Amino acid sequence: MTLLIHEWKLNIKSLLIWSICVGFSCFGCLCLFEGMEDTMEQMADAYAQMGAFSTALGLDRINVSTMDGFFAAEVGLLYAIGGAMFAAMTGACMVSKEEEGHTSEFLNTLPLGRGHIIGGKYAAMLLLILMYNVICILWEVAGFLVAGALFPIEDFFLENLLLFHGAQLLMQVEIGSVCFLISAICKRKQTGAALGLAVLLYAADLMCRVVPDLEGMKYVTPYYFSNATEIFVSGKVDMGMAGIGAAAAVLAAGGAVWIYRRRDLAA
Amino acid sequence: MSKSTDHAIEIHEFTKTYGGIRGKHRGVNQISLTVKRGDIFGFLGPNGAGKSTTIRSMLGLLRFQEGEIRLLGMDAVKEQREILRKVGYMPSEAMFYPSMKVKDVIAFAAKARKMDCTREAERICSLLEVDREKRIEQLSLGNRKKVSIVCAMQHKPELLILDEPTSGLDPLMQEAFFQLILEYNRQGTTCFLSSHVLSEVKTYCRNAAMIKEGVIIKRDSVENLTRSNARRVRLVEDGEKKEFVYTGSMQELIRKLDQRKVEDLLIEEPSLEELFMHYYEQEKGEGREEQ
Repeated sequence: MTLLIHEWKLNIKSLLIWSICVGFSCFGCLCLFEGMEDTMEQMADAYAQMGAFSTALGLDRINVSTMDGFFAAEVGLLYAIGGAMFAAMTGACMVSKEEEGHTSEFLNTLPLGRGHIIGGKYAAMLLLILMYNVICILWEVAGFLVAGALFPIEDFFLENLLLFHGAQLLMQVEIGSVCFLISAICKRKQTGAALGLAVLLYAADLMCRVVPDLEGMKYVTPYYFSNATEIFVSGKVDMGMAGIGAAAAVLAAGGAVWIYRRRDLAA
Repeated sequence: MSKSTDHAIEIHEFTKTYGGIRGKHRGVNQISLTVKRGDIFGFLGPNGAGKSTTIRSMLGLLRFQEGEIRLLGMDAVKEQREILRKVGYMPSEAMFYPSMKVKDVIAFAAKARKMDCTREAERICSLLEVDREKRIEQLSLGNRKKVSIVCAMQHKPELLILDEPTSGLDPLMQEAFFQLILEYNRQGTTCFLSSHVLSEVKTYCRNAAMIKEGVIIKRDSVENLTRSNARRVRLVEDGEKKEFVYTGSMQELIRKLDQRKVEDLLIEEPSLEELFMHYYEQEKGEGREEQ
């Protein structure tokens, strides 16, 4: 608990900056919907006729003139990339910041034990990701209120929203865990690589939806099972893919613990 | 290795090898060392000799391949958490989280030990004039060292491990620091002091070991180390000043000097620094005399 509180204090500023930036962007996007309602039909037609780009973003299967379609196409994308980047950055800095900042000796000579330290840091990362989502969802709720889309809310929209946010949380945990593993191996913060990974996985999702030969990449990228348009069109999350994502997160976390407990720590 | 309770530190044939696929090198090779409980023990060596490697392995920061290390009768690998509860460690680099306040760092260290160390922390802070309201990023190296001293001592450890503790401290603070060490030692705390400042070891330690290139070259009481029959010989020969450290019988020295055209001569006890070099040369078997 001591370490969890400690990490929470160290990361609160980053959490607030990211959640306010992404959350406010989502809020702003939702506020735009009301003002653009008149032109949405034309926009939906234009979106659906953009060929491969429409296919990649799933715009050919949803109607962006409705709130659920608009949310899936616009806000969902913003939320996914912002969340993945936050998770990647948090995971990538969590362990290696100690060796880079030369605080590793101080922390590891307290009677906590390496298992407790790595476990506490992983728990802190999960808590930060969870709180990031809570804050962003609060911004979304505010956006829905302004757009007048919350009362009354249709059941299927609420269910899809919950599914989307559940899948997003899992996606962020998976990316965060992979970056956490990298952080446990490296002696320096790999923030650039982590952000690059978050963007690369998004690009992989786009590619595997357009290029049939690259379909296999859907097993690699967690954006695939957490894709907003896919969830809002089908009304479900591909549990097989989500399972692979969860397994990858568990393996990455386990790997991080295994490596950190065995390796030499720099001063 | 026997599990002795008389010893605070027992190191047996400890070897630490660094490196991976790009090649390996031995940081420390086959070190054996014991430190009795209640001792103030000096661990001397130049930079890169293996002092920090030994200390960091003792504390579980480095994983080693061969040998055994026991602290306070406990295995340094298997009982690491229990050891760390009873050990205070002051690293050579006093680094903390820059955005944290000094009081928060000290409280965090105490909480991690599940102890209320408020009184002792306050006492040491006031002795060392530590400003607890400042943020770490505002502190100089010397002031960070003071915070490190508080974190290492506030829980009244059974064993204090100090890695080059005085670097960055001004002479007044060095004196206050050593008075604290002596005070803890009187209360039963064993101190293991790694240093390359030999004068402080000579002043404050009872026993010492010298390490060079990963090998212990001498281990004895500081008194014996300084009372060796090694002598610094300064002489003027043919108008030229010469000096060397000599170990051996005085008769032999006098006989050798008699064969030279000595104009002036001074024979004195060598400094600990010179002793160190002397023992090292002796270990390497390069002869008994350096010139």
